[in-house]
Amino acid sequence: MFFITYLRRELRRRIRQAVFIALGLALGIGLVVTVTAASAGVKKAQSDVLSSLYGVGTDVTVTGKPPRPPSPGKAPARGATSFQLGPGGAKLCQNGKCRNAAGQKIDHLVSDSYRPISQSEVAAVTKLNGVKAAAGGLTLTDTAISIPKHFGQPGSPLPTPNSVNVDGADTSHLSLGPLSAGTITSGRSLRSSDAHANAAVVDSGYAHSNKLKVGSTVHIVKHSFTVVGIVAQPQGGSPPDVYIPLARAQAIGTAAGKSLKNHVNTIYVTATSAASIPAVQAEIEKLLPGDTVTTASSLASQVTGSLSSTAKLANDLGRWLSILVLIAAFAVASLLTMAAVARRVREFGTLKALGWRSRRIIAQVMGESVVVGIIGGAAGVGLGFAGAAIITATAPKLSATIASSTGQRFVSAGAGGGRGFSPTATHTVAVPMLASVTAGAVVAAVVLAVAGGLLAGSFGSWRIARLRPADALARVA
Amino acid sequence: MYQLTGVTRLYAKGGQTVPAVRDINLTISGGEWLAVQGRTGHGKSTLLNLLGGLDRPTSGTIEFAGKDLALLREAQVTRLRAESIGFIFQTFNLVPTLSAAENAEAALIPLGIGAASRRRRVDAALDSVGLADRARHLPGEMSGGQQQRAAIARALVKEPKVLLADEPTGNLDEDTRDEIINVLEKLWRERGLTLILVTHDTAIARRAQRVGVMSNGRLSIRQDIGSVPPAIP
Repeated sequence: MFFITYLRRELRRRIRQAVFIALGLALGIGLVVTVTAASAGVKKAQSDVLSSLYGVGTDVTVTGKPPRPPSPGKAPARGATSFQLGPGGAKLCQNGKCRNAAGQKIDHLVSDSYRPISQSEVAAVTKLNGVKAAAGGLTLTDTAISIPKHFGQPGSPLPTPNSVNVDGADTSHLSLGPLSAGTITSGRSLRSSDAHANAAVVDSGYAHSNKLKVGSTVHIVKHSFTVVGIVAQPQGGSPPDVYIPLARAQAIGTAAGKSLKNHVNTIYVTATSAASIPAVQAEIEKLLPGDTVTTASSLASQVTGSLSSTAKLANDLGRWLSILVLIAAFAVASLLTMAAVARRVREFGTLKALGWRSRRIIAQVMGESVVVGIIGGAAGVGLGFAGAAIITATAPKLSATIASSTGQRFVSAGAGGGRGFSPTATHTVAVPMLASVTAGAVVAAVVLAVAGGLLAGSFGSWRIARLRPADALARVA
Repeated sequence: MYQLTGVTRLYAKGGQTVPAVRDINLTISGGEWLAVQGRTGHGKSTLLNLLGGLDRPTSGTIEFAGKDLALLREAQVTRLRAESIGFIFQTFNLVPTLSAAENAEAALIPLGIGAASRRRRVDAALDSVGLADRARHLPGEMSGGQQQRAAIARALVKEPKVLLADEPTGNLDEDTRDEIINVLEKLWRERGLTLILVTHDTAIARRAQRVGVMSNGRLSIRQDIGSVPPAIP
């Protein structure tokens, strides 16, 4: 075919220029593909972090509002145990009565992050429009502190708290909540028949560090639970250490000194469709004012740390850098194509004299530009894959941090009265950066390549369309 | 074939209007060989461009086969060039990346002729100028004479009615010049072409049926048809 022959020969004649243009486009497109891959990797990392926190398939999460930090000088809530340091040494106080803390062991399974929500609210949420399913859960911390006998005296060691994160999982709705995202690596998961049993599933990391296996026993506030399964959560998550049936967690857990019977502190909700999530969120906020209603997207905005920084870097700097490089590549391609057309004025004038219409010559030039663009695009996709591979191989693990109020109270008594504070806990996880080139990015690269070729060709074509054959021939006569 | 009436072509140059061709009245019969002479810059090439539809007159009419070229749309003039007018240039103007055969084939592309038919016609055209054995050679691989033969083959492959040659021997040595003129004369005779040839060379001009001389944009005919019979030396 004459068109192909002419095109091929012309590109071969201008091979250096064609390679230069193709490389410029490849660089721009490669950068776009790499940034897109990095961005996709960051999004996946965010998704992994969020699903490890709240499980796969959870669209909306409701948590009881964080407990307020105690006011200075105000007595702890009734039933709550406080730890006081004063001139008389360490004391444990409950309902105004204090005893010497030295040599004591304090062990509480408490809801220290969220205030309890009545379990009846779970049923109410289930009935809301747009809600497919809802399950309650308890996010608890088992904190055990052994107070040394001579605590407070010179040379006495400090007490070392030992905390275990315990999750009370609704055994009738195991498809919702943190346990749903995990994979059972040994034994089995919890089941409906375990609702009132002292059965536990432990996280693989916790099991490894504590040498636990199926059949082992874990102790939670003086209760022994038999390990029935080991679960591995997605990489990058920071899962609870132990999962126990919700009913058991309600039975042995407390919040501000009160039992958690018939209470949860987290509700996991699945919406009927993605479109109904905002409406569901609004409905729940109306039903449970004061509690925290979080969707995956709003939670993502609370994530900080290097994951967040990388997401910003990929989305802002990466995107603008790609656009700038692409503009530069397109401009260089256009200028070089125009220069090539200027050098071929004689040739095009001759073709016009032979009876070639302008549009046929334009098609020839556009064809050459598009082929260069496609070659640049293919090289760009290759560069993009290489860039993504380099990022995956060399990027350090990203950290994702979600801040939450712990509600833990530390009170110190002094001459000026009690002073209290409620520290903010940060939930930080390490996430691997896996940049992966998506099919969409490849399609975008091809579109960009063709667009770049067409843009460069159109500048040359504009010149050809304005070329009068007599002028072209006079220039060389 | 051609009827030129009051043809004038003006150019704007440095804020001034310069007449390249002035008030030319000329009739060129079908099958005639007209040589046009004149000093550089006196309008020879402009006249040739006007005859080939590459340029349009500022005033006057150029009738070609009964059609006024000045009134035709660009697409119609382009079609006319593709079908009926062959060009030969002093600098050959071959596409450097295409072989002799492909350069000739380029002239058939606008006519929408099938590939097989194109090949046959290209082979015949190259054969008629004695270049069959150089069909696959690129312009850079051929001598000046061979390149001009390839250009002649390209002009003739579409079997035009008119052949416009702008100093076709201007870049050639004497021997090659004679060789090319002989080829042109032979083809003119055999095919009944209308040949309009611009040349500085009086020896070549003398072989034409008529000689016109351009001076300051005006054309004067010095020799009438048949006064000097064309002959191949």
